Amino acid sequence: MLATDRHAWTNRWRFIHPGEKALFVVGLLAADFALPAASVAHQVFAAAFLATVIGAKVPARAFWGVMVVPAGFLLAGLPALAVSVQLEGAGPLLSLSPEGLALAVAVQLRSLAAVACLAFLILTTPIPDLLALARRLGMPPALVELAYLMHRLVFVVLERASAARQAQEARLGYRNFKTSIRSLGLLVGGLFLRSLDRGRRLDTGLAARGYQGDLRVLSAEPELSVKRLALAVLMTVVVVASALVWP
Amino acid sequence: MSEAILEGMSEAILEGMSEAILEGMSEAILEGMSEAILEGVSEAILEGVSEAVLAAEEICHTYPGGVLALAGLSLTVPRGCRLAVLGANGCGKTTLFLHLNGSLQPGRGRIVVGGVPAAYDRAALTAWRGRVGLVLQDPDDQLFAATVAEDVSFGPLNLGLSVAEVRARVAEALAMVGIEALAARPTHMLSYGQKRRVTLAGVLAMRPEVILLDEPTAGLDAQGAELLLASLEALNAGGTTLVFSTHDIDFAYGWADRVAVLAGGRCLREGPPGEVLANSGLLAQAGLRRPLMVEIAEAAGLPHGGRDEILAGLADRARR
Ligand SMILES: Nc1ncnc2c1ncn2[C@@H]1O[C@H](COP(=O)(O)OP(=O)(O)O)[C@@H](O)[C@H]1O
Ligand SMILES: [Mg+2]
Repeated sequence: MLATDRHAWTNRWRFIHPGEKALFVVGLLAADFALPAASVAHQVFAAAFLATVIGAKVPARAFWGVMVVPAGFLLAGLPALAVSVQLEGAGPLLSLSPEGLALAVAVQLRSLAAVACLAFLILTTPIPDLLALARRLGMPPALVELAYLMHRLVFVVLERASAARQAQEARLGYRNFKTSIRSLGLLVGGLFLRSLDRGRRLDTGLAARGYQGDLRVLSAEPELSVKRLALAVLMTVVVVASALVWP
Repeated sequence: MSEAILEGMSEAILEGMSEAILEGMSEAILEGMSEAILEGVSEAILEGVSEAVLAAEEICHTYPGGVLALAGLSLTVPRGCRLAVLGANGCGKTTLFLHLNGSLQPGRGRIVVGGVPAAYDRAALTAWRGRVGLVLQDPDDQLFAATVAEDVSFGPLNLGLSVAEVRARVAEALAMVGIEALAARPTHMLSYGQKRRVTLAGVLAMRPEVILLDEPTAGLDAQGAELLLASLEALNAGGTTLVFSTHDIDFAYGWADRVAVLAGGRCLREGPPGEVLANSGLLAQAGLRRPLMVEIAEAAGLPHGGRDEILAGLADRARR
């Protein structure tokens, strides 16, 4: 999560309007779901990967790092998709047919391609930028503010957690299983109390700056470029065309 | 009859005497008295009787759990000063600052802002916080926005300023503390010293008359502290009143023009550093030691005064 966040803030496309990146992703997702999976999923996946690694210059390792967990879940679901269960006749019957397998693989490919699109989005766009876009698209402001604050506090808490863990480790808190469990319990309990305290103090800190229940800030607005929007659409067209030409 | 006499007198005064009086006075003012008056005023300023921007009058505060953090503390902040609030850990510095900008309300006593007793309704608090900025000790208690520029824009937006004005103020505040280059950086990817400068910029952008800084140099290295102090000096030269808490007595001695010594939730003494910080009895009572400069002056047999006097004395000694 920390690595993802770091890339989101520092990649080459950080200052490109989130709407443009979102349009690119929406186009790819639409192609991914509209066309037969076997023909389009590869192209969608490749487009997302290349945009991340070559376009935004995010290291490929980071891309695979984001992909690995969802891919694991998908693979784990493969047998369940491939096998079909027949309940009629003499008792339940499990069967593995070539069609079932093909269907399962198709669903997998489609899903992996969709995950790749989202990986592109979160590796190139900081969460607050996505939230600003969501607000513009009609997400309730209260929800956006809540998510915005949570994003900030998650990092404060993570920082504290890693510092506290280091301190515990220095005093041999993770020597063996038993001490580890105890230390972890203390860590979580302590973090909870500290987070409450922090919330209270943040309230004071914000009030000192005139906070009256409205977390307004002035965001730097990147220009929405018509050229890049057209490019995003063009990319989708290219993917769709290539899928149709080489099915 | 008495009425007639009074009328007659008043007429006489109005017609005849008034001219003479006015002439006499104006002459006196122009020639003789003006000097005396000016002297009197400058003396008053030197003595610290100048206008108070902020004052605490016998304030008491008890935290939930029964800790008496402030026990009848009185303190006057003269306009344009650099006032150091000195005291050992737990003597009530942070609690005092939270009162001075209305974050806490005293159980007894009162706060006076610009000569007017403070009110705690929403409108009054908003105005108060526009005039008196507070920089907390831990920057994570104050930074909440995703990027530096966004965070700095928060205060001025709360003042109800226009977007163009807010943009200008953000740029100005970032330049004042020397972090223009960090404007687009996320706040969670900053060093501690950078975070502290961002919190200062966030308060500067509101252009307060008074800035309260809780332990501004704690946790900063020498260079970080110097950068911060340079920004503060420029502000102070521009007329902003600075009040900062510290337990670094050498820093207070060298940098402040007034010091207040706190102990046990009370202000023991307020005055010029050369005078207050040479008083060993007072400092011992507050759990503080004397500034190094004062120790040196004493060892060298020089009279204690301000820092510059002592330095001049030492230089003189070295020459001889
Ligand atoms: N939130 C709190 N709840 C209870 N007691 C507190 C709280 N904050 C401070 N105190 C107590 O109030 C006293 C003054 O604290 P503080 O103003 O933080 O001192 P300083 O800033 O000078 O170190 C201390 O005894 C401290 O333990
Ligand atoms: Mg304190």
